[in-house]
Amino acid sequence: MEGSMTPTQPMRSGGFWAEAWRRYRRRPLALAALVFVGWLAVVALFAPAIAGTKPVLCRYKGHLYAPCLAFFDRRLEPAVFARDRFRGTYPQNLKEKDPDSWAIWPLFFQDPYRAVRENEWPGRPANPARDEGHPSASHPFGTDQYGVDVLAKMVHGTTVALLVGFVSMGLAGTIGIVIGALGGYCGGWVDMVTSRFTEIVMCIPTLVLILALTAIIEKPSIWKTMAIIGATGWTGIARLTRGEFLRLRQSEFVMAARAAGAGPVRIMLRHILPNALAPILVPITFGIASAILTESALSFLGFGPPPPSASWGSLLNDARSNYSMWWLVVFPGLAIFLTVLSYNLIGEGLQEATDPRLREARK
Amino acid sequence: MATYFLRRLLLGLTTLVVITGFVYGLARNMPGTPLTVQLGETDPSRKINPEDQERLRKIYGLDKSWPVGYAQWLGNLLQGDLGRSISRKQPVTQLIAERIGPSFLISGTSLLLTWLISVPLGLYASARSGRFDERASSLLLYVLYSFPTFVAALFLQIIFAVWLRGTAWELPLFGMSDLPADAPWLARVGDVARHAILPVTCQTYVSLAYDSRFIKANLEEAVRQDYIRTARAKGAGPWRVLVHHAFRNTLIPLVTLLGLSLPALIGGSVIIEQIFTWPGMGRLFFESIRERDYPTIMGLTLMFSVLTLLGQLLADMLYCVVDPRVSLD
Repeated sequence: MEGSMTPTQPMRSGGFWAEAWRRYRRRPLALAALVFVGWLAVVALFAPAIAGTKPVLCRYKGHLYAPCLAFFDRRLEPAVFARDRFRGTYPQNLKEKDPDSWAIWPLFFQDPYRAVRENEWPGRPANPARDEGHPSASHPFGTDQYGVDVLAKMVHGTTVALLVGFVSMGLAGTIGIVIGALGGYCGGWVDMVTSRFTEIVMCIPTLVLILALTAIIEKPSIWKTMAIIGATGWTGIARLTRGEFLRLRQSEFVMAARAAGAGPVRIMLRHILPNALAPILVPITFGIASAILTESALSFLGFGPPPPSASWGSLLNDARSNYSMWWLVVFPGLAIFLTVLSYNLIGEGLQEATDPRLREARK
Repeated sequence: MATYFLRRLLLGLTTLVVITGFVYGLARNMPGTPLTVQLGETDPSRKINPEDQERLRKIYGLDKSWPVGYAQWLGNLLQGDLGRSISRKQPVTQLIAERIGPSFLISGTSLLLTWLISVPLGLYASARSGRFDERASSLLLYVLYSFPTFVAALFLQIIFAVWLRGTAWELPLFGMSDLPADAPWLARVGDVARHAILPVTCQTYVSLAYDSRFIKANLEEAVRQDYIRTARAKGAGPWRVLVHHAFRNTLIPLVTLLGLSLPALIGGSVIIEQIFTWPGMGRLFFESIRERDYPTIMGLTLMFSVLTLLGQLLADMLYCVVDPRVSLD
């Protein structure tokens, strides 16, 4: 279509996002942060294969199984192992009950939810418990007071840390964009109602709201915590979206779309939103950082989801009962810090790469 | 001006009614009541028998549905009565009055320190913008800004209360004072100060990093303006240009920031007070949620919300003071 309108094909510029990416790439720290988050995602995805006590893949009585998937969801544990009374310990049972069996084990044979017993892995001693569990060659990050390996807990906690950010900000972003878009595009009484509503929610101190909401839920779970963080963190996004929509609805391309007969929903979603997305993404990225902070703070205060959940914050909470176990603070603390720092760096990189005002300043 | 305040007041009152109503509904719907949570958990033998429980429910108004209870709470509030705490058997106003001082001690000191350090730091950073030392210190501040307070608090506790135990650098782990109330006045002040060092440090460093970055960003925006070029052209020195011409014009966003920090100033910080077992408002709120102490939850929510609204109003008013071009009407 473009070709038919212009007789000589001009050289295509990369477009807004390609341009932004080019500018983003120039910032080494922002790039490093992106790599770090990507690495966390890999760790989260392969957590059961990195640290666990269940084979990644095994052949047992003529069939192939992947018992490690049970770490994602209990129901994924093959029923045959429950029937043969494995009780969660694989290495010995596999050999005893089927001498022909073979298994591919996780890189690091440790369980995030319980201490590994003596000889569970042939020839290896039981995990040290209480303040005996200093970091050592067999437990690089030490063990907690019950003897559970901290590295295994942290590897499995990566899933929580990443999910919290994406799920809660996905929710907050959706609520914020819908409310802001409605207010900004429709104007009039709709804007009046949505703006007042946003202002009221803004006035409620966030932690007050989160603590009250967390106390009200009957069966706390990590998903409910994420929903609460998302449901309370949308006000900034809504205000920004409203501003962008207010500005863009006056623009010529919207008028053109309207003249071409596009309906309001189509104009909002297809025409305005892509143009408003860059500035909205910035607070969403910062929001991910603060959602991770809030979740770990809640878990730390004992308001998080109950065990067994291997959130980094709950590890910190364990440390408070015994201050001499410094490794329970240092490693999870650094993990939370590095993740939050990465999202903040990504957010800032995004802001500098997409904000034309800042771009001029650089030149 | 008068109409502006009237509108603001009406809007603020509506906001308050909505917020307190919402929080009251939430609080009353939490599982458990103050009577069951408090006694049943600590000691099963102390569980109140059904008749007594019924009587107590009547006394505290828990037998009514929450909208009725809320209407009653609102009615009492109009007469200046915030009710009595159920778990602490004290009037809520008295409880809050006891806790304001400790909270203010931490946040007031921290706010003062933040501003005393971050303004010179911001000026320094924009004066030496782009040089090596500025970039190093800005990076350090950025890293500090991302450092979670509760992690920093735990690190500091381990360093100063565990590793340095028995040395001159040892600092208390938590609490506000170890000395009895009849100890000499000067010793008690020193003791409280020693207890306050770690919480104040934790409260300060995050806002320090944030504020100095904010000041620098605003200054960088200001030094690109035409009047700065004019000032330079007429021969004003670099510091005079920076402080007198540029910084004065960045006061507006700073004042907004100051206004918005009002709720935290008196409300304290839930997390820091909880970690250091500091007897302030934040900790009181945390405890009252645990104990399902409805009157205290409501009293504190009301106070936090009023402070937030006042902070916004204050920011708008200060806005007019620093920038006479802005009119509130």
